[in-house]
Order: sequence, then structure tokens, then C-alpha cells
Amino acid sequence: MLGPLGWVILGLIPPLILMLYFLKLKRTPLEVPSTYLWTKTIEDLHVNSIWQRLRNSLLLLLQLLLALLLILACLGPGCRGEKLLGNRFIFLIDQSASMAAVDLPDGETRLEFAKREVSKLIDSMGPEDTAMVISFSNQANVQQSYTRNRALLKRKVSAIKQTQRSSDISEALVAASGLANPGRTSDRETARDVQVADALSARLFVFSDGAVTAVPNFSLGNLIPEYRPIGGLDVPYNVGITAFAINDDRDTTSLQAFAQIQNFDDQDHAVDVELYVDGEIHDVQTDFTVEAGDLRGISFDLGALLEGLEQTLPVRLEIKSPDVYEIDNVAFGVVQPPEQIRVLLVTRNNPYLKFVFETDLLARRARFEVQEPRFLETKEYAEKATLGRYDLVLFDQCVPPIMPESNTVFFGSVPPGGQWSAMEKQFPTLVIDTDNTHPVMFNVQMGNVLIVESTPVSGPLGNVPLMESTSGVLMAVGPRDGYEDLVLGFSILEYTPDGEEIYNSDWPNHLSFPLFIQNIVTSLGNGGSFNEAEGTQPGGLVRIKPKLPMKKITIRNPLGQDANLSARAERQFVYGKTEMTGIYQVLEPDSNRQEQMFAINLLDSRESDLSVRKKLEIGYEEIAGTVETVPEFKQYWTWLVFVSLFVLVIEWFIYNRRVFI
Amino acid sequence: MSKVSSGVMGSEKTNPLLAPDLLAQLERMELVSRKIFRGRMKGERRSQRKGQSVEFADFRNYVAGDDLRFIDWNMYARLDKLFLKLFMEEEDLHFYALIDGSRSMEFGEPSKFLYAKQLAAALGYIGLCRADRVRIERLDSAATTDAPTLRGKANLWRMVQYLESLECGNDCSLTEAIKAFSLRNTGKGILVLITDLMDKSGYENALRYLVARNLDVYLIHVLSQPEIDPDITGDLRLLDCEDGDHAEISVSQRLIDRYRQTLAAYIEQARDFCARRGIVYMMTSTERPVDRLVSRYLRQRGLVR
Repeated sequence: MLGPLGWVILGLIPPLILMLYFLKLKRTPLEVPSTYLWTKTIEDLHVNSIWQRLRNSLLLLLQLLLALLLILACLGPGCRGEKLLGNRFIFLIDQSASMAAVDLPDGETRLEFAKREVSKLIDSMGPEDTAMVISFSNQANVQQSYTRNRALLKRKVSAIKQTQRSSDISEALVAASGLANPGRTSDRETARDVQVADALSARLFVFSDGAVTAVPNFSLGNLIPEYRPIGGLDVPYNVGITAFAINDDRDTTSLQAFAQIQNFDDQDHAVDVELYVDGEIHDVQTDFTVEAGDLRGISFDLGALLEGLEQTLPVRLEIKSPDVYEIDNVAFGVVQPPEQIRVLLVTRNNPYLKFVFETDLLARRARFEVQEPRFLETKEYAEKATLGRYDLVLFDQCVPPIMPESNTVFFGSVPPGGQWSAMEKQFPTLVIDTDNTHPVMFNVQMGNVLIVESTPVSGPLGNVPLMESTSGVLMAVGPRDGYEDLVLGFSILEYTPDGEEIYNSDWPNHLSFPLFIQNIVTSLGNGGSFNEAEGTQPGGLVRIKPKLPMKKITIRNPLGQDANLSARAERQFVYGKTEMTGIYQVLEPDSNRQEQMFAINLLDSRESDLSVRKKLEIGYEEIAGTVETVPEFKQYWTWLVFVSLFVLVIEWFIYNRRVFI
Repeated sequence: MSKVSSGVMGSEKTNPLLAPDLLAQLERMELVSRKIFRGRMKGERRSQRKGQSVEFADFRNYVAGDDLRFIDWNMYARLDKLFLKLFMEEEDLHFYALIDGSRSMEFGEPSKFLYAKQLAAALGYIGLCRADRVRIERLDSAATTDAPTLRGKANLWRMVQYLESLECGNDCSLTEAIKAFSLRNTGKGILVLITDLMDKSGYENALRYLVARNLDVYLIHVLSQPEIDPDITGDLRLLDCEDGDHAEISVSQRLIDRYRQTLAAYIEQARDFCARRGIVYMMTSTERPVDRLVSRYLRQRGLVR
């Protein structure tokens, strides 16, 4: 507030007044009949006249008091409406997307306000108090661990940046509770569990708008929580896009963009929505009315955009009416030129599989190649497999010598390498459960499917069972160096050693079989749709698989900043710096040729709902917000100036009215 | 009488030395001395001496050589013895009024000096009416003075004229002036000293001179209201009008209180000093009208009746 020079000048004022008082003394001469009595009167006062003068000079004392008050006022004294009790504080600051809302009276974002509030609290800490600063969005960042250095704490608080991520407080709570709730260990001899360290209770201040997921499985223990809701008291005006997708019609080549527009205000609003394709306006819907608190779907026909499409196109949907929260006014998508995936089917002679791949839909999406098992022994296979020329390889009762660089499906056999194993043949096989949430099993009903014999399988670590029978797992999907292997523990058509075909299942006769194959092509073969370029929410990881094998790629973020990535595995790149929503470009590092694009969207209705939550649920506790006690720094200097003014008036009064002297 | 009063009135219109109604009041008064003095001339007051007057005093036996005119022949006829009739002798009285003419007397509204002159005039007029010898002087260390000795009511005009001619600004110490006065005047009588006692060398010796003269001394201590209750503020450099001495003060309530205490102590000390020496002390403010002072306060003190 004041530099050293300022302090020196302030400190010099009182001595200066004293000095001036003695120097000034321009005493008014007054002729009197005799100084006799006066001399007698002040005789004893002469002994220590300086102090007598001081003592007798009410005006000087008042002037000194005035100067003192003004100096105090310059120091800007104040005190918080509340006193921070306790010695340890943890400040949890929400930095999720919703904190970017500008709904506070003085035009600052919620995060800025929260940071300011935290800085004030830090100012009010005692010299022995320690504090810790944690910011959280969907992940927690310990900005500063426990320290007494208030300047450092404030610096770290001011360095907290706004993110466009969603909110999840649980990780931050775990980080906060470290010292407050130390781990426990069980003592075998006494059969009791003991605490490994002394619990150090702390006060936990949560500065958030409350748009966080409830944390049911967390015990605050020794943390004393205090929730400071940040945000305006009224429901702010926000109309946002909470869902956005571009889909093709399965039968035609036309494209449609769907969006869900939600009004979080308590009043109806009409907004203008614009759709941009490759930076140029494509379609507009004006006065799209959404009722208060309601949501409405909106669709745009992109037409035959895919025909003749060679380049990936960015798509942007924008609400043109400004509101307090801008992140959800824009949604991004990507339209990629359709591409046939290459599928290799290795089978002796399975007419059903061949037949399925000849359907119109799959024929349009996939280029289909059938080979006999002996093809696997050839050089050609080895070459194509290692170069990743196939997107999907189906092995029908055969095992390749080397696994291809692609996703695979095994019917009635297990991948080589020992990670997968099959049990003895079981008979009969009764399907008791399928995991229909997995994309491979989407809409696949196995209830009426008969399977004669099966060899239940077990996969590597991280495999997901998709179909279970009485005797074990019939179908599972497991990871392999960034690829996925789907293993079915039964075959459809078996061959006797003399070449006779035996039906092991009637699955091909059911509708679920072509659906299953279609799902395999869609999900495992990445041949599902035009815009399969994988997108995620801000902060998520994006897996990038270039069309050609590359050692390095360049990712250009929406701001135009480039980042180089090295391949993790063959043709596998993982990009994690997806902090911003928008279109990210994948470029070849040397030629800067655009390889592909992906979109990052928040599309989180919880973040878009800007109403400030009155309470926060942590574990079994509900922490009510303490809005009214959001610490106000009470400035007293104005009062001091008032008092100074009063003193000045008294001085003036005394000097002029001579009431007292 | 009308001529005199008009002269008195005309001399100082705004603040006359003697107001006409005061004159009438004063004519009924007389100066009283607690001591019986021997006058030089026959006056209007009884003397201790028996003498020729109309007031009977006593009888005594006739002895050879007595004036036969004083024999009480009625007694001789009745008792056949010669008795001499003794009469009280009536004498005149010396009345001195001494006015302090130092510069400090100039202060006050009206000034102390004017007040002193008014008082002297009033008392002098009483004396004139009673055929006393009235002499009003300004304190002066000189050996001689032009102050007239007056007697008889007709001399009022001269007295007033003389008083008006007196001016303030004669700085001599009280002691010196009293000493000079004592040397000049040897007569006994009443002496009224009108002063503000603001003499840094002290007033005690001066009063001792007077006491030694065996005069009936009245001390009228005149102070102006600003001296009694100072109305000053701020940081002041007080200048003594007489000797140029200065005192620096920063006025505060405390200082004012202390001044009042000092003044009270000073007055008390003077009163005490006077009481021990048979001097009648009286402190008055210039705010107190002269007629009230004479008719009430001095009557109480026994100077007039």
C-alpha cells in the first residue's frame, strides 16, 4: 500500500507538528497593566516549560491526535467480520468452467472473486497459522502445500487459472484430508486399528459455485468444512448448448447436426443459433425460444456434405445471444470424409460371416477381404499385419503367428502369447448374461441363441467379460498395446478333421448376429461413421491413430499453438493438453498437411447451470453455504477520517468560540 | 451651585467626574475619621479640645485666670459657686486623596485612573461640603506639587478642574511617591490611597510610611474587570506597559484558574497587611459605580456617614 518512503514521511509528521508548534509560536503581543501577577502565575511553570506548554496546549494535543488518526487512516486498518480460529486452513478453489461466469456486480468472474476472497482470508491469518491452497476442476491441483508464508500463498492463489473443465471435488477433498485424517493401520496383536499419525484438524474453506458432483463416499473427519458459495444471488441468464452431435442417416449419405439447447434462467429466452461449417455460415435459426428452466432439441440438415468430401471439416454451432457464461454458447464437431475400413476375415469357409459382410451397409463401410488360414503363414500377411494395413482382422478358429497391428476378433480360438487361455470344452452351453452396455453388444439379444459346445476364455488384466454362460466367460474383450482383442469362446461352424461342417450354434439365424458383426465393425474397426475422430471433454486424453504410420505428429490447438507428439506404440499417439474447447488439428510434422481433426466440447449441463448451490454435500454431511458471512474486509479508515474531521471541528470550535480556554 | 454643576457636567460629558444627582447625595454625607485629629482652623467637627462652639461639653470649677465669659452664671445664681462652662471645639479635618498615576492605571473601561479621579472627586466634595481641608494629589516622587489645598464648597470647581488636568503616565514607584508625599505633608487626617497596587517593588514599604505618619489610611484597590477576570486566549506575549517586561503564556483554563488564585492570594495578602496596620483596605472593580461605592461600601467601612 505504501512504499518505505511513504512510511518515513508518515512517521515524520508528528515530530514535524511538534517542531512547528515550538517554532511557530508567533505569540500575539498584548499589553497589560502589569505582568506582575502573570509572572507570579507562571513562575512555577517556567521550571519545565516545554512540558508545561505541551500540557497546557489542548490545541497541540488535538492536532497531534488529528495527525495520528490520519496516519492510522493511511495505514488502512480494518478487520474481518470474523476471526479465523484454528491454526490450519485449507482453501479449496473451484476453477471449473462454471467459475468463468460473469454474474457478479462488478463485472469480474466468479473465479476472480473467489481468489480475492481467499486472499483476504490469507491476510487475516495469524503469524503462526499455516494454510494450503488446492484448486480443483475435474482434477485437483495442490497449488501450495502447508506454509506460513502468506505472500507465497497469495501468489499461488492469484496464479490459479480458469479452466474449461467440469467439476469434481472428490480428488481435492482427498488431497485436503491428508494431514487431517491420517491413514490407519491395523495392529494384528490387539486386533485394533490405530492411527499412524496424529490428526491435525484443519478448517476447510470451499470456494465454489457448488456445481460439483455430490461426494457420497467421503468422510470429512477432522476437517471442519465451510462452504462459501460464489456467484450472484439471482439466477443468472444463461442459455447454453448441452449436447451436440453430428450423425448420418444409416440409409442415406445425408448428415444431420443435433443439439440440445437448455435455458437455465427463470425467464423464457429466444436465441439465435448459427451453424458454421469450415468457418462459413451454413444455417441459422433465429428466435429459437427455450422456456425457463427447459431444454429443447434443435437440428440442422447438413445435406449431402459427405459427397465428394476429401478434407476434414470443422463444424461449429454457436448461440449468438450473449449471456454471462460463454463457454457453453459454442459447440464443436468434425465431419470427416467417409472412409472404408479394411477388414480381413480368415476362415476356412464360413458362409455366414461372408454373407453378413455382403450386406449393403457393411459393404459401404468396409472393404472386405477373405483369406484361408494358410494365408497367415505367408510373407504378405506378416508384412500387412505389422504395417497395420488392416483395421480389423477376424480369425475364425485359427491363430496367427504374429498378432496384427489392429483390433482383432477370435471365433473359437484364443490369441497367441499366453495372455489369453481357453478351458476345456463344455457342453451344453447356456448363455446367462450379456453386457449390453458395451458397444460390441449394443442391441445384441442372446436369450434365444443356442450354443452347443464352448470353451470359456479368460483374458489378460483389464479384460471385460461381455457374455457369460453357466460354465464361464464366453466372450471377453481385452487390451493389447493399444488395440483390443475380442475373443469368443465358441465357434459358429466347426469342422471335423475330415472337413465336414458341424453347426455349433444357431446364432446366424438370429437378427442379433448381423447386429453383432455391425457393432464389431463400428466399434472395433473404427468404421462406424464419418466423424469418428475421437473427441472428449476438456482435460481428457485423446487417442490419435494416424492413417499412415508415423513417428511424430503435430497437434495444433484452437489457439494455433503447436505441440509435437511422439508415438507411444506404432501409430498410437496420446494427447492430453486438451484444456480448451474447440477444434484441434492433427498435422504431419514436416509437411504440415492436415491429417485429421478432433473436437473438444464441455457440453456439461451441470457446469452450465449457473445457479449457486446453497449447500454442498460431502459424505453424509450437508454443508450449508455461508453467503452472508463471506468475509467482508471492514475498512475502518473511513471512520478514522470521520473522527479526524470531528476532532478538527472541535479544535476549530475551541479556537474560535473559546468555550473552554 | 448650578454654575458649579454645569462646569462639572460640561467638562466631561461622556463620563463626568461628578454627576449632579451624586452631588446632592454627597452633600448629606461627611467624612469620618476614626482618630480625632487636631485641626488648624476651626472647622465643622468637634475636636477633643474644648473650645468655642455651641455644643456643651462639661463644667469645671473656676480657677483664677479663666475667661470670665465662660462662667455659667445660672449655676452661680443657683449654687452660689463659680463653674466654668466647657464647650466642644469644632475643628476642620485634613483629607488627602492620593491617586496612583502610573501607566497601569490607564487600563480598563472606564480606565482605573478615571475611576480613581471620580472617587477622589466624590470624597473631596464631601470634604469640601464639611469645610474640611481637601487635598488631592497624584502620586509623584517630586518634592513639590501643584496640588491645591481646598476648603469650602465653592472650591468644587477648582477641584474638578485640577482633577481634569491630571494625566496618567507618571511612572514612579509607589514607595518613592509615598515617601515624597509624607515629606511634603505633615498634617494628620484621613488619607485615601487609590491605586491598583501593581508595583513590582511592592506596596508594603509605602504603606509603612503612611502608618508611621499616624494617618487614618484608607486603601482603595482599584482593578479593572479584565484584570479580575481575564478574557484572553491563545499564545500570547504579555507586555508590561510600565517597564516593558514581557511574559509568554499559552492560555488555558488551568492557567486562568491559576491566575485567579494568584490574584485572590495577592488581594488577601494586601488585606491582611492592611488589617494588621490599621489600614482600611477595600478592593473594587471599575465596574462598580462610584456612587454605590461611596454610599454603600465606604459607608460600611466607616469612611463616610
